[in-house]
Amino acid sequence: MASEDEINLLVIVVDVNPIWWGQQAQREPEFTLSKCLDAVMVMGNAHMAMTRTNKLAVIASHCQDSHFLYPSKSWRGGDSGAEDASSSGDGKYELLSIANNLIAEEIRNVMSKSEGNSTDTLLAGSLAKALCCILSIKTVYIGRDTKSRLLVIKAAEDCALQYMNFMNVIFAAQKQNILIDACVLDSDSGLLQQACDITGGLYLKIPQKLALAQYLLWVFLPDSEQRSQLVLPPPAHVDYRAACFCHRNLIEVGYVCSVCLSIFCNFSPICTTCETAFKIQLPQMVKPKKKKLKQST
Amino acid sequence: MDEEPERAKRWEGGYERTWEVLKEDESGSLKATVEEILFQSKRKRVIESHGQVRLGMVSVSMEDHDLKPNRLTSTLKVDSAAQPSRCTPVGIITTKNKRAEKLTDLAGNPKKHIAALKKAVDTVCVGEPSLYNSLNLAIQTLKHMPGHTSREILIILSSLTTCDPANIYELIKTLKSLKVRVSVIGLSAEVRVCTVLTRETGGSYHVILDECHFKELLMLHVKPPPASSSSECSLIRMGFPQHTVASPTDQDAKPSFSMAHLDSSSGPGLSLGGYFCPQCHAKYTELPVECKVCGLTLVLAPHLARSFHHLFPLQAFIEGPVEELQEDRFCQACQGELKDKSIFTCPTCRGVFCVECDLFIHDSLHCCPCCIHSQSAP
Repeated sequence: MASEDEINLLVIVVDVNPIWWGQQAQREPEFTLSKCLDAVMVMGNAHMAMTRTNKLAVIASHCQDSHFLYPSKSWRGGDSGAEDASSSGDGKYELLSIANNLIAEEIRNVMSKSEGNSTDTLLAGSLAKALCCILSIKTVYIGRDTKSRLLVIKAAEDCALQYMNFMNVIFAAQKQNILIDACVLDSDSGLLQQACDITGGLYLKIPQKLALAQYLLWVFLPDSEQRSQLVLPPPAHVDYRAACFCHRNLIEVGYVCSVCLSIFCNFSPICTTCETAFKIQLPQMVKPKKKKLKQST
Repeated sequence: MDEEPERAKRWEGGYERTWEVLKEDESGSLKATVEEILFQSKRKRVIESHGQVRLGMVSVSMEDHDLKPNRLTSTLKVDSAAQPSRCTPVGIITTKNKRAEKLTDLAGNPKKHIAALKKAVDTVCVGEPSLYNSLNLAIQTLKHMPGHTSREILIILSSLTTCDPANIYELIKTLKSLKVRVSVIGLSAEVRVCTVLTRETGGSYHVILDECHFKELLMLHVKPPPASSSSECSLIRMGFPQHTVASPTDQDAKPSFSMAHLDSSSGPGLSLGGYFCPQCHAKYTELPVECKVCGLTLVLAPHLARSFHHLFPLQAFIEGPVEELQEDRFCQACQGELKDKSIFTCPTCRGVFCVECDLFIHDSLHCCPCCIHSQSAP
């Protein structure tokens, strides 16, 4: 069991792309963004209720920006939210009710104010902010053991432009020993599969969206130490093949420019990215040996 | 030594600091300080450089010299240094008792080196090191590397003497002609032959002041140096194998040997899944590796991606006093209050960050969290 002093930080990144959620509300009215956030709140409350030293943060990832739903900017140490929290009167642990109210309020602000019309999710930025947040909390509690993990709830599709930033974030997380778990609602995401594989987290595509809360509690609530004792969904097969820069096809054998590391499927004398001319290896010319004239006696 | 006054100052500065920590005996000789060091912690590290910025793939071979029985080598702080790019093959050579021997071959995966170094910690250090022999051994390995690689040798030298069978200046000329860059980190004092060696080959020579300085110097070498325009650029053929995972209940799964384990006696034998070379279907369990059967370099896309941040380096943020900020004093990355004296502003998106986030962004993240929200960012 984890020691009493250990701090377990869980950061949940929720994809709130308005276009996807709008379409989802038309497809399946039973499962809307508010239901999704209810499930997230249940998960957050469960996490905080496990141990006194568990901490939570929730980030909403919108089209062009990411917002911290919880803790809000006035939070530092967790006690300052008490002034305007009307006690719910049903004996609920105050921290949990504060968290729920804050999340509900902030998401209303985010959805009403933010604009955006892209169908992709810019997850890399939210993950980067999450990592910075984890790091700042680690420095606050510098003497104590801190374990952190990231849970991404993804709805819309991947944005191919953010590949490099995403990989940077993944490697930074791996260096800091932060797990990235992924709970995918709709379409499979190659980037998140790679993230989970590299950092050692869990990737799951949910078969039934209505049961989101159940999946979150079953699969993603236990932390990394307890996961070894559970039988969890098997790891997904990750496709690590690279895509060539010219056609965006996945290739098994390719040519890599030694200068800029761009990948091509066919040999070409000039690299299109960095425009260096390549030295082509020509077969060695073998000079014909001069035959020695026989000395005739 | 007739170098500029700054160098002489640095050399003396190194000694002043060590005398604060250690005691000096009557004759002022360093033997006493060396014996003191015996009981302190020592370190040895594996370094990998990234192949970047007109470099291509970098090969580094590191030499480690052991002094007379007193100075032993131990604790590896390898993890932090070994985490970055695995694109570089690294080899380790040790020298003692006037001979040099290869500890590990050139390989890209840091695990082997870490294991070998851990074993080497227990070996006894005997005799004098030999600079000539170790450089010779390194040259033989690096000679066969293709032209687009940048070849580097990093020497960690704690001895003040070296026992060479032949003229080392001849060897320095050979190194220069092979375009090998030699850098030295001295653990005790500045040695003239090392100065000449690094100056002629274009490397750098540093003598450490203390353990933190040692760590910093090693990290400096992890960053790839800009390549000279004389290095050749070429297209390297590489394979990107798929990872096949087979369970024992699968009918078609056949257990097979990994090619990498054929030479070693230890390690697992048969396994079900692994990476199969796209050209010859030889199996490997760890990447990156060069296929022993067909010679194709096998990598995974993330291995190349690890080195991308050297090609597109992040601009340094502008430092400014915190009083300049009109509105709420919150760091845009971690949402924490800006308590420090200075804040850092990204020149592109004008986002404001605190000191720790700035450090994290430049050391590990390599991208500004606010800039990557705009879709046009690379």
